[in-house]
Amino acid sequence: MSPATVTSITPRRATGSTPAPGPPRRPFRDNPRLILAGIAALLVVLAALLVIASGTSRFSPDFLSEFVLYGLSAADLTMLVALVFVLLRNIVKLLVERRKALPFARFRSKLVALLLAMTLVPTVLVLIVGSELIRTNIDRWFNAPMADILTSANQIAGDYYHEQQMVASDHANRLARTLANADLTSSDVRLVRDRLAPDVTLQRVQMVGVYRVVPSSGSLPSLEPVVDVAAPSLPPGHSRAAVDRLAAQALAGSAETRSIETLGPSGDLLHAAAIIRRDQKPVGVVVATAYLTGEMAARARRMTKAFEDYNQLRVLKRPLTGLYLSFFLMVTLLILFGAIWMGSYLAKRITQPALALSAAAREIGAGRLDQRVEPQSNDEFGSLVEAFNAMASELAASRRKVDRGTIQLERKHLEVEGRRRYIETILERITAGVVSVDASGAITTINGAGSRLLGLDRSIVGQAALQAFDRADLQPLGALIAGVGRGPAQPTAHEIAMVRDGQELHLAAVATALVGDSGAPEGVVLVLDDVTPLIRAQKVAAWREVARRLAHEIKNPLTPIQLSAERLRRHFAGAPPQARALVDECSQTIIGEVESLKGLVDEFSQFARMPSPRTVPTDLGRLIADTLALYHGIFTDVRIEHRVAPGVPMVRLDGEQIRRVIINLVDNAIEAMERRGEIVVETQLDAANTVVRVVVADDGPGIPPAEREKLFLPYYSTKRRGSGLGLAIVRRIIAEHGGSIEVGGNTPRGTRFTIELPC
Amino acid sequence: MVAAAFVASVQAADGVPDITVMPIARDGQVVVSFEMSDAFTPDVRDAIQSGLPTTFSYDLELRRAGLLARTVASVAISATVRFDNLTRRYQMARSVDGRLEDARPTEDLAAVRAWMTRFERIPLSETASLETNGEYFVRVRARTRPHNTWFFWPWSGTTLGQAKFTFIQ
Repeated sequence: MSPATVTSITPRRATGSTPAPGPPRRPFRDNPRLILAGIAALLVVLAALLVIASGTSRFSPDFLSEFVLYGLSAADLTMLVALVFVLLRNIVKLLVERRKALPFARFRSKLVALLLAMTLVPTVLVLIVGSELIRTNIDRWFNAPMADILTSANQIAGDYYHEQQMVASDHANRLARTLANADLTSSDVRLVRDRLAPDVTLQRVQMVGVYRVVPSSGSLPSLEPVVDVAAPSLPPGHSRAAVDRLAAQALAGSAETRSIETLGPSGDLLHAAAIIRRDQKPVGVVVATAYLTGEMAARARRMTKAFEDYNQLRVLKRPLTGLYLSFFLMVTLLILFGAIWMGSYLAKRITQPALALSAAAREIGAGRLDQRVEPQSNDEFGSLVEAFNAMASELAASRRKVDRGTIQLERKHLEVEGRRRYIETILERITAGVVSVDASGAITTINGAGSRLLGLDRSIVGQAALQAFDRADLQPLGALIAGVGRGPAQPTAHEIAMVRDGQELHLAAVATALVGDSGAPEGVVLVLDDVTPLIRAQKVAAWREVARRLAHEIKNPLTPIQLSAERLRRHFAGAPPQARALVDECSQTIIGEVESLKGLVDEFSQFARMPSPRTVPTDLGRLIADTLALYHGIFTDVRIEHRVAPGVPMVRLDGEQIRRVIINLVDNAIEAMERRGEIVVETQLDAANTVVRVVVADDGPGIPPAEREKLFLPYYSTKRRGSGLGLAIVRRIIAEHGGSIEVGGNTPRGTRFTIELPC
Repeated sequence: MVAAAFVASVQAADGVPDITVMPIARDGQVVVSFEMSDAFTPDVRDAIQSGLPTTFSYDLELRRAGLLARTVASVAISATVRFDNLTRRYQMARSVDGRLEDARPTEDLAAVRAWMTRFERIPLSETASLETNGEYFVRVRARTRPHNTWFFWPWSGTTLGQAKFTFIQ
């Protein structure tokens, strides 16, 4: 098993020079071949240790205590350090992972701790018990009976050897004394041989060799063999070298006058040398040799070897104990090392796929749906990884569909939003008021014109229409909305008159039912159009027609009436004074009234035939100033102030008609103030609405609100004299200039006329 | 005339092996005599008596005194003894720098002790390689085999001794 890895399937652009990256290299612990190789190596090491341990009896204690112990100690120490390092590393790593709150850190630490405890506890227990067993068994090797037996055996063998050597030495000394008087220089050695023969034939010694001292030119004399006598039982193969060397050593005065010559399986020769002296002067050397049979020598060697082996083991008890303990410790450490490594590996192997899945899930949760987990095994984890990858693929596909849908939705939303803004802009810009009501009767929208026309705040949105239109002047609208759907299918316009801010307002209201695709009613749209100017224009047109007919019908008989009156006066010029005075008075009255009627008819005619304005760019401030200049010095108690706002542009207007408007308004003000007071003529610029505003305000008694609208009707006048056409003409002039005129109260008192002219 | 002054720097403590070093520069040579005391412990005697080959190895170094001591000359000496329990004789051998210098048998344990621990006039270097009035020291490091410890420690069984001297010509 090997852990899974998280990879991104985001395609990478291959560069021209950079080679394509190869598959990621697996770390050592994730490579199954290397793992198997490691396990095999561990088994080989364990087997080697087993072989060495089982063969320790074949090695010398010295070799074991020096080289093997050295190697094992070094290996133990190294493994102990490695084990501690691995343990500390794992512990620190787990602690860091837990501190960082990494996924599965707690699970991994628990798993590793559990595996460690499962391995460590029994292993340490086995180590302790096994160590104690080893020590106890080694102590048992060196029990007292065995030591006594081996010591005694070695003593016997040694004593036997020593005794044989002493026997040979005694014979050598005795023969040396015997040969002191013998002539060793003679070539006839029979005498010497005869003296030696009994010792050999009687088996006192098995070989006797005699040397004579030969003076030499050097400082030390040399030896020359004289005769050898050997028993027939002496095995072949022995050399004279050992005997010659011992003889020379004895002659040289060495204290070592004995030696042992080993003949291998044939036995040992125990040599002893003695110096032959004559007159205290060395004349020769005799070497007596005792023979130990091969069986005897081997038995003695075995006894000594057993003793030495035993003693060497005893002497090296501590290093040997250490050796076996090291064996045991090494096996324990190998097992522990393997267990720790396996524990860590298993913990990682178990948690790694889960970690990879967790990481990939987090990535997918963060929106990176191209994350995949690379399956690296065919077990249940592999199936889980494949299922996860399939889920991620499906999520990615769904995400792409959703993205496409979202893009289309956003596009439609933008389109709808554009339309909405377009309609909203139109609704806000049009002069018609639009109020929409949903199926439940609640107002959903009201545009600015609607709010202005109805005098309602936009906060009514959401309220029930009947409640919002509960005001007396708005109740017809409520009734209109309520009646939608009950009448004819085609909506019809209803004219509704109302008074707002003291002025009569005429609205053309059309209520249209909104029907959904399913035919279900979805509400009502109420469109309000301000037809007040149209009504006014219709009225003016009607009055102009009346004026024209009046002028035509009245003016025609006036001239004959006037001529007839003048003719009567001339006819009665010669009549008696009383009659003439009566005629003059009557004719004068007739003529005066006719003149008055003519003036009236002229005004009517002028009203009826008022020409269209011929507008040219005009300096409105200068025009007003020139007009007001006409009043200088005429009305001493009237103060006329002219205020001109800066930046007023040139306005296209008919100067004469506007002059007439100003004169009319100022005359009316002077008359209303009874020629005493203050008049302010102010010119303002409303750049936002592209209009120039002319205000004529007085501080006279003012006009009641109810009469203000009537002021502009023909033949309505509050003056004792006048035709009542002045303000009607003013409104007509302003209207034909595309402007408007309103009347209101001045603060603190008086009347205020406001004219708006487009600029 | 050639003379040298020396100072033995290590004082022996009871029961602890110690090496007394005595360098002498004379007749154109630096020779060293040294003796390791308290090294013939019962363990060593037991090891010898058991028939184990027992070796005392000595590394002799002549070094120039200073912060960074420089080795002028060095000699490795080893003394080995093996006891034959059958013949009850000790076979002794000495080697210098790996060359067998001497070998002899004995039946005397005191002779073995002297053989293993006492060395006289071991030639170490020519005086020609020394600087006049230079401070030198001879360091002797001794190791014994076999080890008799539970656990092998590279520095166990090692004894150090040294002696300083000023080379005066």
